[in-house]
Amino acid sequence: MSEDKRKNDIAEGQDDGTTKESRRDFLKKLGVAAAATTVAPVATAKAASISEHLQTHFEMMSDSQKEKAIARLEERYTEQFGKQVTVAGTPAPEGVLFGYALNISKCIGCRRCVEACVRENNQSRGDHEYPNSAIQWIRVLEMVRGNDTFQVENLHKGSPSSSAIGDYGVQAGGHADKAVGISGHAEHYYEPELVPEENAFYFPVQCHQCEDPPCVRACPVRATYRDPNGIVVIDYNWCIGCRMCQLACPYWARRFNWGEPVLPNEDMNPKTHYLGNRPRMRGVMEKCTFCLQRVRDGRYPACLEACPVGARKFGNLLDPESEIRKVLATKKVFRFKEDFATEPKFFYYMD
Amino acid sequence: MISARKHMRAAVFVSLFFVAISGLVLQNMPNEAVAQEDAAQEESGAVVQENSADASQEEPGAEQEAISDAGQEESGAEEQEAPADAAPTTSDAEVECYESRKDATRLTKKDNVNPKYGYPNVKCSPTTKAVLWYGDPYDDTEPIGDTPSFGDYTDGDFAQAVIRPRTKHLKTIIQNGGMQCSGCHPGADPATQKNDPRELMMHQDIVSDALVLEHGRGAIWCFDCHNAANRDTLVNHRGDEVSFNESYKLCGSCHGSTYSEWRMGLHGKRTGEWRVGGKKRWWTCTECHNPHTVEEHRFDPVKPEPPPALPRGMSEDDYKGAGNHGGH
Repeated sequence: MSEDKRKNDIAEGQDDGTTKESRRDFLKKLGVAAAATTVAPVATAKAASISEHLQTHFEMMSDSQKEKAIARLEERYTEQFGKQVTVAGTPAPEGVLFGYALNISKCIGCRRCVEACVRENNQSRGDHEYPNSAIQWIRVLEMVRGNDTFQVENLHKGSPSSSAIGDYGVQAGGHADKAVGISGHAEHYYEPELVPEENAFYFPVQCHQCEDPPCVRACPVRATYRDPNGIVVIDYNWCIGCRMCQLACPYWARRFNWGEPVLPNEDMNPKTHYLGNRPRMRGVMEKCTFCLQRVRDGRYPACLEACPVGARKFGNLLDPESEIRKVLATKKVFRFKEDFATEPKFFYYMD
Repeated sequence: MISARKHMRAAVFVSLFFVAISGLVLQNMPNEAVAQEDAAQEESGAVVQENSADASQEEPGAEQEAISDAGQEESGAEEQEAPADAAPTTSDAEVECYESRKDATRLTKKDNVNPKYGYPNVKCSPTTKAVLWYGDPYDDTEPIGDTPSFGDYTDGDFAQAVIRPRTKHLKTIIQNGGMQCSGCHPGADPATQKNDPRELMMHQDIVSDALVLEHGRGAIWCFDCHNAANRDTLVNHRGDEVSFNESYKLCGSCHGSTYSEWRMGLHGKRTGEWRVGGKKRWWTCTECHNPHTVEEHRFDPVKPEPPPALPRGMSEDDYKGAGNHGGH
């Protein structure tokens, strides 16, 4: 089954139109160009695809190279999605360090942040056959308050259990395969009629934009790096898809495009940024960027605007008057997996 | 060992050099090719571009059709989805969504409020009709007005603050075809004993049992907040009228610390610009909380968005069998 699918994928990839067409066209043009002597500064999306493959890392580009790279992408996306797509190269604002805080005592687990993120950031929607090829950058975990299943009957069910030969088990109590009980289980796939559920609390997880990001250290080609505002970004064109960053991330924040992303034209958000929500290709990583394309233009991230309970706060950590700084100053704040010393700029807090 | 590394480095340099050279060649070549192509005006690529440029000056719906037509002329290269796109966009036009509170914060989806990107004012969930995404965060808002100043450092933000007026969107007003409360409750009601509620004959959908109001732990009743003299307004403990739009002035008179946190931006929701002093929509108390049931739940329960798909290859049974439903 999966073999067949893979074959189909490969077949589709081959008569995708774009690649085949571009190669053929390119050769055609090469022939024409050999005869031609005039040069005019005109570029088409088809010609651009070769240059796009050969472009350098975004941070290494000169301004004119950036302009060219962006123009190439705009042309390609506009053609691909049948509507005018803009790719911004808006630089990082000065004197800003972005931080995020989430109130876990307010979150009701409605998952609107997840859906808002998908609509803003052009993630793959998945197809009917393989809905799990859909990509979401936020995962909301449901935990049941006081959830414990510890049972006294299990206390002395040691494992391995004693046999006729004798008891060689080294575990004096409990059970190696099934614990005496569990606590603090995080449920990803909850689907009740209504949320919040009785006795449950919710814990959304997304990229923590670490100050000492393990993903950046793991990347062998520096395709992922920390931008001047503290957001960890990816140059999708520079990514080689090795997924080392995914392994390195302790927050499970990174997603990989295993197949060609499925992004219907009408769902595509045409306002994009080179380092943010521009459509990705097969074989590259992607992750939350605090909606880079929005926050560099001054807007709140999409997940914050979608939250119906105001559990999400965002702002400049360097501005003492900002909402985020006031949260840090007055609330009970903690960071997730702080012992990894990743220094996240994503905080959780309680009233 | 060291010499081996040097060899490798040299090899890398040489190969990089070749890549760079070929890059230069390739980057220049296509441009020349295109110049020729434009001059000849025969290549199909140019046709597509012209068509889409023309169409974009017309209405957005036509643009997609024009492009798909062009695609068909061009031996059907890639555009197949455009005709299918048109259907959902038109059917979405009249969608009624809700913001934070179901039934209480309605919003009608309007298409193309931002023509530059073809954004609607909002995008709503297909399953729950909840507003998920704002094309225009200030849709249907107005300046916050003469919010009393505390004389503290939170004052600075008011100049840019906007709110979405509640008066137009209250459930009963919408149900009565836009008629205000005073349409049914004209004039002043006779004064009633303090905290002497009776069972309601109407509006049980709002307050199921008026004798047990889920707010204030029995200390307050209807006319501590609703204005008996003018049902279109609220009233505070001093007898001053308070608009439904400015619930924070009334709520804040009991919930003082929450009110000051709300003014600082710590409590509640704000949308718009993240900068201090930027234009923000402040969400008022009753946009998130239901004042008639707030004692039972802080937020009215809502239907959640669908869960993510299970990992590829894992069935629902596998997932449950693995003990992942964790004993509850």
